[in-house]
Amino acid sequence: MASVCFYFQVHQPKRLNKFTVFSDNVPYFDDDKNRKYLERAAMKCYLPTNAVLLDLIDDVGEEFRFAFSLTGVFIEQCEKYSSEVLESLKQLSDTGNVEILSETYYHSLAALFSLEEFEKQTILHKNMIRDLFNQRPKVFRNTEAMYSNEIAKTIERLGYDGIITEGHESILGWRSPNYLYRPEGCKRIGALLRNYKLSDDIAFRFSAARWGDYPLTADKYAKWLSACEGDCINIFLDYETFGEHQWKETGIFEFLEALPYEILRYGNLDFKTPSDIIESYKAVGVIDVPETISWADIQRDTSAWLENDMQRFAFEQLAKLEKSVKSNHEFLHTWRLLQTSDHFYYMCTKWFEDGDVHKYFNPYDSPYDAFINYMNILQDLKRRLAVKSKRIDF
Amino acid sequence: MRVLVLGWEFPPAKTGGLGTHCYELVRNLGRKGISVLLLIPKKSEDARCNLQNVEIVEVGSLLSNPYNPKGSTTFERGYGWNFFDEVKAFNEECVALASTGEFDIIHCHDWMTIAAGQELRKRTGKPLVFTIHSTEYDRTANLYPFKNIIDVEKRGIDEADLVITVSKNMKEQLIERYEADEEKVTVIYNGVDYLRFPGITEKDHRNIVLFLGRLTNQKGPDFFLHAAAKVLQKESDVLFAVSGQGEKLPELIGEAIKIGIMDHVVFTGYLSEEELLRAYEMADVYVMPSVAEPFGITALEAIASGTPTIVSKKAGVSEKINHCFKVDYWDTYDIANKIICVLRYHVLRECMRRNSLKELEDLGWDTVAEQTIEAYRRA
Repeated sequence: MASVCFYFQVHQPKRLNKFTVFSDNVPYFDDDKNRKYLERAAMKCYLPTNAVLLDLIDDVGEEFRFAFSLTGVFIEQCEKYSSEVLESLKQLSDTGNVEILSETYYHSLAALFSLEEFEKQTILHKNMIRDLFNQRPKVFRNTEAMYSNEIAKTIERLGYDGIITEGHESILGWRSPNYLYRPEGCKRIGALLRNYKLSDDIAFRFSAARWGDYPLTADKYAKWLSACEGDCINIFLDYETFGEHQWKETGIFEFLEALPYEILRYGNLDFKTPSDIIESYKAVGVIDVPETISWADIQRDTSAWLENDMQRFAFEQLAKLEKSVKSNHEFLHTWRLLQTSDHFYYMCTKWFEDGDVHKYFNPYDSPYDAFINYMNILQDLKRRLAVKSKRIDF
Repeated sequence: MRVLVLGWEFPPAKTGGLGTHCYELVRNLGRKGISVLLLIPKKSEDARCNLQNVEIVEVGSLLSNPYNPKGSTTFERGYGWNFFDEVKAFNEECVALASTGEFDIIHCHDWMTIAAGQELRKRTGKPLVFTIHSTEYDRTANLYPFKNIIDVEKRGIDEADLVITVSKNMKEQLIERYEADEEKVTVIYNGVDYLRFPGITEKDHRNIVLFLGRLTNQKGPDFFLHAAAKVLQKESDVLFAVSGQGEKLPELIGEAIKIGIMDHVVFTGYLSEEELLRAYEMADVYVMPSVAEPFGITALEAIASGTPTIVSKKAGVSEKINHCFKVDYWDTYDIANKIICVLRYHVLRECMRRNSLKELEDLGWDTVAEQTIEAYRRA
C-alpha cells in the first residue's frame, strides 16, 4: 500500500515599485501590479482549481485528502484584492480533508540569517492560519523547501511533527524518496521528501510535446503511482501549475478532475496528508544535510537566491538592519516583506542567458535592474530608520 | 573565391563602425583564404595594409580641392557642398578600375559605394552584396533626412542580390521604410577584437562616466549631459567625459555651461587609438544614449575594457548583450539613476563587467567573416 500525498504551494510576492535614487515618498510596493498579478492568477488558477478540488471532495468524499501551504504575503493580498479566493480556501479547509502547512509568513530567507527571526515569522504564520482556518499546522515547509540539519532541529524544537523538503539524490543517495525519514540530530519529527520526478511530470512536462510520455493522462499517471514502491509518494507542486504554468488549454484541469478517481481505482493506493503520513508510517532511515538544500533549479541549493555578489550584498545589507528595525516597529513589517525570497531570485544571473523559468513573473528587465531597485528601497528604508549611512564605497 | 570590396573608411584614418567593420572583415576574410580587392578613397594618411590575401587600392580624387590649393587628390573634405560630387567621382573611378571583372562577388558598404556596385553588377553579371551599417534616417536621427540619399539606398537595396544589416532592428527598418524583401536581408552582428582591449583590470574608481562617439544628434550627447546634471544633483564627485568630434560640439559646450555642470564635464575632442584604450579603461561606466544606433561597436569595446555599460534600447548591440543596462535614451532620470547605482555599488560593477565580458566570446570578427562568407555563397 502506498499513500499519495499532494501538497500545493501558494505564494505571490509583493512586488516592488520602480524606485530610483530620485524617488521620494514613493510607496515601496506596487499595489497596481500586485493586484493585477493576483487577479490574473485568481482567474486563471486559484478560483477554477479551488472549485475543481471542492467538487472532488464533495464527490469522492473523505478518501480524497491533500495539503496546502499558503504564505502570509499571499493571504494578505487575497484579503486586499480577492476575498473570493480566500473564501473558497476556507471552504476547502472546512471540509476537514485539507491540511494547512506551516511556513514563514513572508516566504523569506530568514532561516539563512537569523533563527530568532525565522522563529518569529513562523509563529506569525501559525497565528494567521489559526485565525483564518482554525487549524493548528503540524508540518512545516520552509521557503522553497530550503532544508538543513539545523533547520530541522529548530523545527523539532518548535513542536512540529514533520518537515518537508526535496527528495534529491544528493541527500538520498541510492535510497527512495517514497518513505518517511528522520532528520539527522532529531528524535521525533519525520521528513517528507518530494518525489521530484513524478512531481515535475505534472509541473514541467505535462504539456511538453517533445516528452516521450506526452500526453500525460490521469490513467497513465495513476498507473505509474500504483507501480511505485514505498510508503508515500509525495507530489509537491506550485499551485500555479494549474492554469498558469500549464494553461487551461493543455487539459490540466481535466487531468486534475479525473486523477483522484483513477488513483482510487488501484487497491494499493490511497490519499494522505503530510500529517496522516507521519501518523501512519515510521521513518526508515536518517537524512543528513549539513549544507542547505532547496527544490530550485538543477543545483537544488540556495544559489538561485544567494549566488552572485549582488544577491549576497543585498541580503547582508537587509540582515544588518535587524537591530534598528526591531527597536522601531513602524518598519518591521516592511523590512520583513523585503525578505521575501522572490526579490533575490530576480537578481539571479545564473540562467539569465537562457531565459527560462526565472523569467516567468519576473518584473525586471535584468538582474541588475532588480538589484538597483531593491538597493534604492533599502537605502530609503535605512534613511528613514535614521541609520546614518554616509556614502561608503561598498 | 575573390571578393571586390568597396569601402569608404579604413584605419588609421578617422573611422566609425563602417571603417572598423571593413578593416576587420577583409583581414579575417584574408586569413580564411578569401582573396580580397579593396577599393577605398585616398586619404592623406596611407591606409593600413600588409594584410594576408588583401590588396588595397586607394582611389584618388579627380576633383580639384578648393580647400587645398596645392592640388591634393584626397577625399577628405567631409560632408559638405560638393560631397555628392566626390562620391560620384569615387564611384566612377571604382567602376573604371574594376570593370574587367576579376572577382566573384561585389561587396559594397553603405550608400557612398553602392552606385559603383550596381554598375559593376550590370557590366560583369557578378552578384552584389550590400552591407548597410546605417541608413540616412539613422545618421540624421530622423531629423531632415536627405531624400537623395534615401533614394540611393533604396535603389541599392532593390538591386542587390543580398543585403546584410548589423541588427534585427535595422532589418525591420529596411523592410518597413525601404520595402526591402525580407528574404533578401540577413543579419550579421558586428564583432569586437576583444583581445586588443585589456579585459578586467583594477580600476582607480575615480567616478568617471564616459560618452564616446560622433557629436551628432544620432548619438544623443545632449541626453548624456542632461543625465549628468541629474547625477550631480545626488553625487557631487563625478566626472563626465565627452569624447569625439562633431558638428554639435559648440552647442554641447554651451549647454553644459547653461545647465551649470561645466566644471564636471570634460570635452576631450578626438582621441588617438592609444588614448581611446585608456579612456575605456579609466571609465567606471560607459554610456551610449544613442537616438539611433544600428549596432554600436563602442559598447563592445567598453565591455572588452572591463567597463560596465549602459546602452540605448535603440542600439543593435542591445539585442546581443544581456549583462548591461538598457535604457530609453530620452529617459535621463533613468540613465542618471543607473549611473549613480553603478558608481555606488562595487558588487554591481563587478558582476556586470565580468558577466558581460564573457558574452564577447561569441562576438569575434572571425565569426563575422564566417557568416559573411556564408552570405556570399547564398548571393
